This record gives sequence, C-alpha cells and structure tokens, in this order.
Amino acid sequence: MKFLPKSEKNEYYGYPNWRSKAFFILIIGFFSILIIGFIALNFGAIAIQPQKIWSIIWQHQTDDSLGLIIWELRLPRLIMAMLAGMALAVVGGSFQGILRNPLTDPYILGVSAGAALGACIAIAFQYTMGLFLAPFLPVFALFGSFVSIYLVYLLSRKRLHLPTTDLLLSGVAINFFFSAIITLLLAISRRGTHSMLFWLMGDLSTASWQKVSWIALPAFAGTIYQISAALELNAMALGEEEALHLGIQTGKLRLKIFLTGSMMIAAVVSFTGLIGFVGLVIPHIARLLVGPDHRIMLPASALMGSLFLLICDTLARSIMAPNEIPIGAITALIGAPLFIHLLKRRNDSDGY
Amino acid sequence: MDIDSKPIVSLEGVSFSYNSQPVLQEINLSLFPGKFIGIIGPNGSGKTTMLKLISGILTPQKGEVKVDNRNVRTIPRREMAKIISMVPQESYVAYNYKIKEIVFMGRIPYINQWKGETIPDYQISYDAMERTDSLGYAEKRIHQISGGEKQRVQIARALAQTPRILMLDEFTSHLDLSYKYEISKILQDALKKELKCIISVFHDLNLASFCSDQLILLNKGRIETIGTPQEVINEYNLKKVYRTKPYIIQHPELSIPQVIM
Repeated sequence: MKFLPKSEKNEYYGYPNWRSKAFFILIIGFFSILIIGFIALNFGAIAIQPQKIWSIIWQHQTDDSLGLIIWELRLPRLIMAMLAGMALAVVGGSFQGILRNPLTDPYILGVSAGAALGACIAIAFQYTMGLFLAPFLPVFALFGSFVSIYLVYLLSRKRLHLPTTDLLLSGVAINFFFSAIITLLLAISRRGTHSMLFWLMGDLSTASWQKVSWIALPAFAGTIYQISAALELNAMALGEEEALHLGIQTGKLRLKIFLTGSMMIAAVVSFTGLIGFVGLVIPHIARLLVGPDHRIMLPASALMGSLFLLICDTLARSIMAPNEIPIGAITALIGAPLFIHLLKRRNDSDGY
Repeated sequence: MDIDSKPIVSLEGVSFSYNSQPVLQEINLSLFPGKFIGIIGPNGSGKTTMLKLISGILTPQKGEVKVDNRNVRTIPRREMAKIISMVPQESYVAYNYKIKEIVFMGRIPYINQWKGETIPDYQISYDAMERTDSLGYAEKRIHQISGGEKQRVQIARALAQTPRILMLDEFTSHLDLSYKYEISKILQDALKKELKCIISVFHDLNLASFCSDQLILLNKGRIETIGTPQEVINEYNLKKVYRTKPYIIQHPELSIPQVIM
C-alpha cells in the first residue's frame, strides 16, 4: 500500500486522472444503456422480432401497428423511465451529499410527497369544480415540492446551522402528513381516484413524446447543474464548518441543491408518480463501485439510475403482461433487499 | 514587541453572544506575525468562538475583527480560505474518502470549477502528505485509520490549503505522547517555512506551554492575561481562572513552566 509516484514519470503524484475515469464510466454507461434499452424494447404484450424492431427504429417506420407500438408506446416509455431514473438518482446523491447523511433521499425528505400532493390537489379541483387543470399539473407539483422542502427547512433550522437529524425527522413527519392528506383526498373524492392512485404507486404507462419533452429539460439541466457542484459537495463531507473554512458558501450551496433538486423531482413526479428507493439505493451502489468523489459518483448515479428504472419498468410491464404492476412496487421489491445486503456487507475499506 | 511589524490579526472591542448569552466581551487583541499563539482557558471560556470570529465564520455583534488590516466581513469566503485554514477538533467525515482525496480537498479554494485542478495542485497535496508523514496510508480510507493518523491527515489537508494563518482547535485531544511531539514538530517547521502565524486552542496546559510563543488566557469571555508561557502560567493566574490550586514546576531541559496536579 505504499503511496509513491510510480516513477519520475508519474506527473500526477499518485493521483488518478478523474477526467479519464469519468469519461470511461460515461462510455460504459452509454453502451450499456443502448444494449439494455434495445433488449427492453423486445419485451411487451406483443412479441416483435428483434430484427423487425431494429429495422423499425432504423427506418423510422411509423405507418403500421408494429411501428406505432415501438415508436409511440415503447420508445417514449423507455426514455421516460431513463430520464426519471437519472433525475431521482442524481437528486438522491446530491441530497445525501449536502446533508452529510446516507439515509436521505427526496422521497424521505417529503419532496416527492409534496409534489404528489400538489398533483392530487390539481386533480381534485378538476373533478369537483370542473376546472381543466391538466396542463398546469407540473406547476402544482413544483409548488407542492417547494412547500414541503421549505416546511422541512423551517422546522429544522437552528440559529446557525441545519442539524441533519432534525431535518430528516421533519422530512419523515412532512412525508407522513402529506401522504395522509393524499389518502384523505382519495377517500372523499368519488371521481378521479384512479388517477390519484397512480401518483401513490408510480406509473409510466401513460408515457408519450410530449411528456418526455416536458421532463427532458429539467432532468438534463438539473443533472448537469448538480454535477457542477460536485467539488463543493465533496467539501461538505468534511463537515459544515470545514466546508466554510474551505471557502464554500454552504447556505447558498444548500439552497442551490434543494431548489434544483425539488424542480427535478417535481418534473418527474408529475408525470410518473411516486417512485421510491431509486434515490436512496442507487447513490449507495455508485459509491460502492466508484468511490465517494461526487465528480465521479454523481455521473455514475445518473447512468445507473436510468438503467435501474429502465429494467424495473420493463419488469413492471412484462411480468404479468398484459396487466401492469406499479413500478413503485418493483423498485422497492428489488431495492430493499439490495439495500439490506449492501448494509450488511459494508466495511471500513469500502468507499462509502 | 517589534514596533515596525503590523498585526496580522486584530480584534477591536469585539463582543459576541450566542442566544443572548454573552460568550466573548470587549476583546481587544493584536497578534503579530511569526508567532505560535496558544489560547487557553476553562471550558466555556470562549476559546473556540474566538477562532471562529477570526476566520469570519461567526460575526461579532459589536466590534471589528481584522485580518491583514482588512475587516473580516469584507473578505469573501473563498479568499478567506486562501488566508486561513483550520484543523478541526474532531471531525467525522461523512463518506469514506481515501486519505489522498481528503488532503486534496485543501486545494478546493484554488480550483476553478470549469477548468479543474492542475498538476501543481497534486504536487502541493503530495508534499503536504510527505511533510506530515502520511504518505504511507494515502491509499487507505478515512474510516480505516486511527485517531492520531486522522489528525495528521487533517493537518496535511490544512497545509495543502497553503494558508498564511493556520488555526487548530485542540489538535492533540486523545493523542499519544509520540504523536503530540511529532505534530508540534511539524507545526514549528511549517511556522518557520511558510506560515505567518499559528493560532491554536489548547486544552492541555503543558502542551500549550511547550508549543506557544505567546499565550492568551481566557476567563468567562474576557482576556485574563496575555504573555509568554512564563508570564501566563503561574499559580496566581491559574488559581484565579481554574479555581484549583495547581503546582508549577520548571521543565528540566527547556525553560518553560509545566503544571502538575
């Protein structure tokens, strides 16, 4: 374990070149997404030959029913799953970084529940008062997620700093409270219950290119923005005061991460509903595989999150085809045992 | 006191209270370059608060803190990080980073977000590990090494920050005798080479006496006395501040006072 420059030639003084490492991970991730994405297109209620799928995609063939299934059903759904997985995993990773706590994710902090409540309120208005609010649903979701993160922040703020345990506990409380209001809305509204239930369990079956175009911008822009704060998140790992002594404006950083994170979550939740466990588990696995350096860990989380949700959604729509299983159930079914396994085998030499 | 040299740190009429509980009151203090300054005093006398006021993490309700003759409030955080670095008392690193990654974090104030780090950043981190004798476990992870080794890593990180003022908060808490000696050697060496001054809070009076050129004795948020260890550590002062009668002997080889029970 001796740490010496390998020879006089080692210009990096024993430090790895993280740029080439990140590039390598991006290349691997990109190709595995292409391959697994193509395999996922083969699953579904109607069997289509892989060669046929290949030619449909290649020739952009949309004039027959098979072409429509691929281009209008499976492909937008696949891309929506990947975008949602990417956003959830990155926000989970950055929240865990900024709060210095590996048990955090947007779901636990109540941000997701806030977004879902906003969406459910919009639906309740639509059915009871006949207001047509569907186009404004993301706005309601965004408002809901901001309200929840602000409440959590207000409840746990102390004079100078933000104790993480308080933050997590108020997050859990807000989460339960908002979920209870959603359940209440479900109980009192006679119509629209089905579309509300959708928000509680997560569902990608209504994916369309239009929805993809709504999610794509916040998901990509937010991911890039949060990755650009990676070095500051690394400093936060040393402690809030240590980060301040390293020149990080921790209050501003927190605001930055919380606002962009809530925006990403609202965009995703308003089209997919609540999908748990991705934001919690994926950053852990990423840390285990590539180490805790956020400059590498966050991009790795983005790729693994999109792969994970892509696989879960494929399972959700094919295990009991033509019936669908809510995707939230699949992510938890796979995620929870995986998480427990990771916790059990964790030791001090691991990178997380 | 050298009349020509200007103070590097000065506190002018500084008062600070926490939740309307006064912590420091009417502190007037000038610290001059080239010195190892020790801050001592009982628990709750405001030692750590004083460090935080100097580095600008806390802002006094009254008075002014100046570093390099500039009001600390006007110095942006990132610029401050290039002037002062801090070795925390005991800190928990949230994720299991490698030692070399932690030391490298000292370079964060110098790294441009878009251009990234440069090779001199690696070199400075490497040198900081070499000086603190922590190269041997550079590839290990922070949760794997002992308390003494962690403290050396924190000092390496603080040196990699290439500050002009190094601050330490009870750096020797729970350390072996050999570690205490080694670390004080490293610090003295750094003070000679590149640091303008070292400001350290001490719990251990004997170590404070061993390391410091100048001691500040705090009592209930006020400065009781300032001076060389010989001037500050005497039975009268200690009895007044710590409220027990200590015995003071002279170190057999160095002419510094040592306190025994």
